[in-house]
Amino acid sequence: MTSNPPLIEIDNVTFFHSGREAAAEPALRGLSLRIEAGEFVALIGANGSGKTTLARHLNALLLPTQGSVRVLGMDTRERRNWPAIRTAVGMVFQSPEDQLVSTTVEDDTAFAAENAGLPSDEIRRRVDEALRAVEMWEERKRPPHQLSAGQMQRVALAGVLAMRPRCIVFDETTAMLDPAGRRNVMEMMQRLNREGMTIVYITHYMQEALLADRVVVLSRGQVALDGSPREVFSDPRRLAGFGLELPPLTALAEGLEELFPGVPVGALTPEELADAIPDPNEMQRSRRLPAAEARPQREEIIAVRNLKYIYMKDTPLAHTALEDVTLTAGRGAVHGLIGATGSGKSTLLQHFNGLLRPQHGSVRVAGLSLNDSNVTVKQMVQVVGLVFQNPEAQFVEQYIGDEIAYGPRPLLEKPALRERVQWAMGLVGLDFEQYKDRLTYSLSGGERRKVALASVLAMQPQILVLDEPTAGLDPLSRREVLRHLQDFQRGGMTLVLSSHQMGDLARLTERVTVLHEGRDVRTGTAAEIFSEGQQLHDWGLEAPIAVQVADRLRKRGWPVPREAITTEGLVAAMSGLVTVEAA
Amino acid sequence: MSDYEFLSRVTIGQYIPGISPLHRMDPRARLTAGLMLLAAITFATHPAGLGLALLVVMTAITLSGLPWRFLLRGLLPPLPFLLFLAVLQVFFNTGENQPPLLIWWGVVQIYASDLVAAGMLVLRFCVLILGISLLSLVSSTSEIIYGVDALLKPLRWLRIPTQDLTMMAQITLRFIPFMALAAERIVKAQASRGVDWSAKGGNLIKRARRILPLLVPLFVSSLGKAERMALAMDARGYGSTRRRTLMMSTRWTWTDTAAVIACAGLAAAILLL
Repeated sequence: MTSNPPLIEIDNVTFFHSGREAAAEPALRGLSLRIEAGEFVALIGANGSGKTTLARHLNALLLPTQGSVRVLGMDTRERRNWPAIRTAVGMVFQSPEDQLVSTTVEDDTAFAAENAGLPSDEIRRRVDEALRAVEMWEERKRPPHQLSAGQMQRVALAGVLAMRPRCIVFDETTAMLDPAGRRNVMEMMQRLNREGMTIVYITHYMQEALLADRVVVLSRGQVALDGSPREVFSDPRRLAGFGLELPPLTALAEGLEELFPGVPVGALTPEELADAIPDPNEMQRSRRLPAAEARPQREEIIAVRNLKYIYMKDTPLAHTALEDVTLTAGRGAVHGLIGATGSGKSTLLQHFNGLLRPQHGSVRVAGLSLNDSNVTVKQMVQVVGLVFQNPEAQFVEQYIGDEIAYGPRPLLEKPALRERVQWAMGLVGLDFEQYKDRLTYSLSGGERRKVALASVLAMQPQILVLDEPTAGLDPLSRREVLRHLQDFQRGGMTLVLSSHQMGDLARLTERVTVLHEGRDVRTGTAAEIFSEGQQLHDWGLEAPIAVQVADRLRKRGWPVPREAITTEGLVAAMSGLVTVEAA
Repeated sequence: MSDYEFLSRVTIGQYIPGISPLHRMDPRARLTAGLMLLAAITFATHPAGLGLALLVVMTAITLSGLPWRFLLRGLLPPLPFLLFLAVLQVFFNTGENQPPLLIWWGVVQIYASDLVAAGMLVLRFCVLILGISLLSLVSSTSEIIYGVDALLKPLRWLRIPTQDLTMMAQITLRFIPFMALAAERIVKAQASRGVDWSAKGGNLIKRARRILPLLVPLFVSSLGKAERMALAMDARGYGSTRRRTLMMSTRWTWTDTAAVIACAGLAAAILLL
């Protein structure tokens, strides 16, 4: 051992999951990696590439089948090293509510320090310090299940900080968070890193990986790429081969680079990219692009008026989820709902098929009044398909074929039913023969989402309501789900979806409603909403990258239309502004 | 109330912070006093004892400052079951029959003592449920853990892993609201698929079959959660040292001593009256 061993040294590690169906395939194969103190490493890769497995080797939650992992020179396979290793390497997990053990915030923060057997005044001191560091001091007496997801993740981080670790591993910590929560966690990571903490960050969002010093790409249990963000994101085709995509900013930079040679493709912030584009000349400055064609007038299919809803009404734990919400959605449109966690999006969605009934105000969907208690949920689900955030909760049957047939079964004869199931599976790109006899629990996250979609589509609803349809999916699955949603809309279906992914919404939606603390604070086209700037920020939201770049360009005099809210849209608009018309 | 809102019906396992005298008691004292009273209520033999118990619990609820409606709502779910037991008690009371004989239809003989026994049964359970709910509503989990841990300390002499036992108790308590939430999520998701949850009636087998699709996912999600939670606990070094310490340091004051003695007196009175 050298006098100064690296913080983490992974040497030729192979790992087999024991007792799994796919035990023949190792989760990690001959993987080697060194992480030095003070680094900020982003770990990316498609679902099943071994990111989480690797992360769990870093603090001896998993032990290598072959090879070795050393933390500060200590071998993880020796049990007596575990307390020291787990103190040195802390971990914040994906699911906020599963990592909180105690019933109040401060007790939970103390958990790790209590496990270490520290004296109680020392624990108190560390807990106070950690809670202040994550800005949760005010909330210290509250029970965790009343916090927002972002706050829970900060509590989990505080618990780790109270151990005073050398390195913190964030395992998809931001996957379930709203834009503000995500921004907050990212800023905390950067601040900790500046103060000398080593950060290992696992993420599905390529944009976030740009913030790291070093990006490690995993593919099928091996390190496929390892370098600076600029190096790793230099070749989109190579990335696609690993099931990944370019960060939106890099994709945008590539498109703009063709128009403005010399634009840095490796730009790391929207400002850096926008400022690299030359100022417009007089002609470009005065140019006006043809206005986007007006949206068709649509017949109203969902009408919510003055809706109010209080959870746990008449108990001391009552809280108001919706406060005077009014919203209409047109037939055949895609309507987006955005807002911070706890702004009431899910509560509103659950009114559309009668799971929740208006306590005050009215809801009409497809000509049926949800205020009428004779209109049953069973009746509504024929018209409105609701897809929840965790698809596994809605599974009723064991086999995929039965699962998808469940809804239409009482309505159809056998051959027609089979045809319907086949049709629904076709819509989401699942092969009927290959999938119909598989168990629902054996599927990957992306496949589950598709089965959940198909099982709702099998009812041929007029309206499809989706709660966070892409949360937790890797880039490829996410793109696929989005493509299907676009197809459904072209097929005439009405879509209502809530999402924290502003980029996805920019691509899909015709109109967007912003919910803030249970009120509908703004409704408009996606372009109108995303041009709100600071206001958007105050609602806990964030404009898509393309809009951030476009805003900056507008300030510099480029007449970029507000409708340019996607990568492709902005590149097209810029190319319209710079190309000289043929004389 | 919505058909699908489960959490509001669960009063056990939730903690409502407050500053009432009950909240401020030393957790050890609160637990000792509470357990003594609950034991006394369980074994009380006379209506007068139960009456006193009811009075004590009502006083405690008033002291706690918690809303009555919330506590009383906790009585609703088990009420049909209790009434059913009470009816059984009326007909099949095993105690000694005491006159006056009220009704006599052939083999069915109902004495006044049967009615008293049935009344006591209902009262006993109601008081117990109120008492347990109250105790858990004013105690945060860590206080319960701290109290239980302190009370179990003598068992460590017998090399019984009391810390693990208390940790188990803590996590069980954390799980109760979670299970209610998870069940709510599953029922809502399944109702959105056309599963008819609002249907009432049907025989026992039919009803059991209706909840079957709920049980499997609930089981799977609970196992998954347990696994993830165990991982998070491991990652934070649970079990890595032999002696866990606690952040909480409480002070036992003379009021706690007085409260425990008073409750011991009350418990004796409930038992012996």
